[in-house]
Amino acid sequence: MATLDLKSISKSFGQANVLHDINLAIKDKEFVVFVGPSGCGKSTLLRIIAGLEEATDGQIIIDGADVSMAHPVDRGISMVFQSYALYPHLSVYENIAFPLRVQKMPEPELDDRVQRAGEILQLTDKLSLKPGQLSGGQRQRVAIGRSIVRNPKVFLFDEPLSNLDAALRGDMRVELSQLHKSLDATMVYVTHDQIEAMTMADRIVVLNGGRVEQFGSPMELYHHPQTKFVAGFIGQPNMNFIPATVTSTSAAGLSLETRDGFSITVPVETAGVSAGDAVELGIRPEDLTVSDADGMTQNVNVVERLGGVSIVYGTTSDAETRLCASLDGNVDIREGSQISLGISPRDCHVFRSDGQALRRTDAPMVAS
Amino acid sequence: MTTVDHDQPHDTEKNTQRRFVMPEGIFAWLLVAPALIFICIIVAWPLVETFRLSFTDARIAGENYVGFENYADLAGDRKFHATIWRTFYWMFLSVGLKLVLGLIGATLLNAAVPGKALFRVLVMPPWVIPIAIGCIGWLWLYNGYFGLLSGMAQRLGITDGPIEFLAYKTSAFYSAIVTDVWVGTPMVTLFLLAAMQGVSRDLYEAAWVDGASRWYRFRRITIPQIMPVIVSMALLSAIWTFNSFEIIWILTEGGPRGATTTLIVDTYKTAIGNYKFGEGAARAVVIVILLALFSLIYMFFLNKVNKHYGSK
Repeated sequence: MATLDLKSISKSFGQANVLHDINLAIKDKEFVVFVGPSGCGKSTLLRIIAGLEEATDGQIIIDGADVSMAHPVDRGISMVFQSYALYPHLSVYENIAFPLRVQKMPEPELDDRVQRAGEILQLTDKLSLKPGQLSGGQRQRVAIGRSIVRNPKVFLFDEPLSNLDAALRGDMRVELSQLHKSLDATMVYVTHDQIEAMTMADRIVVLNGGRVEQFGSPMELYHHPQTKFVAGFIGQPNMNFIPATVTSTSAAGLSLETRDGFSITVPVETAGVSAGDAVELGIRPEDLTVSDADGMTQNVNVVERLGGVSIVYGTTSDAETRLCASLDGNVDIREGSQISLGISPRDCHVFRSDGQALRRTDAPMVAS
Repeated sequence: MTTVDHDQPHDTEKNTQRRFVMPEGIFAWLLVAPALIFICIIVAWPLVETFRLSFTDARIAGENYVGFENYADLAGDRKFHATIWRTFYWMFLSVGLKLVLGLIGATLLNAAVPGKALFRVLVMPPWVIPIAIGCIGWLWLYNGYFGLLSGMAQRLGITDGPIEFLAYKTSAFYSAIVTDVWVGTPMVTLFLLAAMQGVSRDLYEAAWVDGASRWYRFRRITIPQIMPVIVSMALLSAIWTFNSFEIIWILTEGGPRGATTTLIVDTYKTAIGNYKFGEGAARAVVIVILLALFSLIYMFFLNKVNKHYGSK
């Protein structure tokens, strides 16, 4: 059992405020990922939870106990660092045993725990080696082993996979997800990689400029981004944002027209917008299809063929706005040509000029 | 057709180049030559000449070949044996103190205290000022009649009369050690400090999250991480201390009654003081052999340390 509550956490380094009033309630056994661009404060927030950094204001509550001023050990957390932070002069065994040696744990119990961690992480035959003799993925596992043996209430991961190559990163993602299931522990994971966030998280915290943009499940973030920032951050390739003007509002939704004359009625709640307002139409590249007519016109600049899909980069017909479509792999499109893209109104998002999304009423998954 | 056009200039370029190239071997030797000549003049030739002289009875008047006589004399000379032991004692004690003090100093300077840049600068004077000037300062400190140490001892009632630190065998030896340590510690301190700053912050943070105390982190992270530097510093410092000449010569000239005469001082006194170049050369060769042996043994351990501490 370990819940983690952050109550109005803020942090400033001198004049610079890096975190503003962060409030999060993380449930027991939940895998929560902090994601955001560099400098958004996600690592600082993790370090504050770990006790490596002191919050300027606010409370950290683990299992109901206020640990804001407690030593990391007394908080019951353990942390895996981006650089692995392995001791190069110690064997894998001693690296994993390090936190237990600090506690002066009796030898039989210590050995038992290290061996068990070794088994979980498939390091049994590597225990006598030095970290320098291991591959990147194995080193990462040793670092995880060191955090497992202490049986912490909350595991903290600071971009643990960013030093690995792409293939290994994919494998380690799966391993970490399995580890989370087998340990049944609360985990907080920091990354700038939205794919890691989408694939591993129970819930994702999207941070931007030291503020929480949205806290929700991956699918919630994908289908119901609350802000333009979240919509642009989640999903690959990024969502297209096309400037448009509201022509009318009705029970069916919002009717709007883009600058190049394309009009559509999107099923969203229309509160707070009226005819004549400037908005942005959001449409994901994978929701665009090739259509014969009546679609949105795209000037094709570059076609990336990935086999299964072709990513078509270009602009709207007035060449003002970038437009990207993820189409069928075998589609016959030439660079420099003009094509017509089909859009289904229920796939569309609408963002007000302040970046807030209008709530979608006919989306595949309704927000909980 | 395009490929042919593309290749044409490339080929011509190759041909022009080949015309100007001199044989690789000669060019390599030409590049090495300046350094080689320099080393021959200032290292190789004196070494060979010293070795040759050690088999003669060279004096100002002239020289005759005497075979191994100089070495035989040294082998049977009790005073010389005592000098060898004294030199090693001098070296181990002085280097040991320099390392311990250097480690303490580096640790203090590495701590996050306000104004640490100032402290770092303040450590340097013994190293930066000319050794001769520093030693003359110590000469005054050790003086029995106007020296600070003797004066303070008398004022505080520790002694009745003046103490001449450099006038007695034991006190002269340890006084010289103190001065040598004073001169040698700053460099050790700064090297160890640099090594400590190279230790990844993550290691300390990881250990801190795991609950390791300050002393535990020092013992199990700092020391092992900087061990290769400690070991290298120990070797360099050992060689310099073994051959440390100016400090002893300025303070005591090897006296009283040979109490501070190390091998290098003995060699100087024999060769330059008494004009016995042959015998002096034999002593110099003994120094070379002893230091070479010491370094070899040391390198052996250095390798082991580096392997153990995983510095790759």
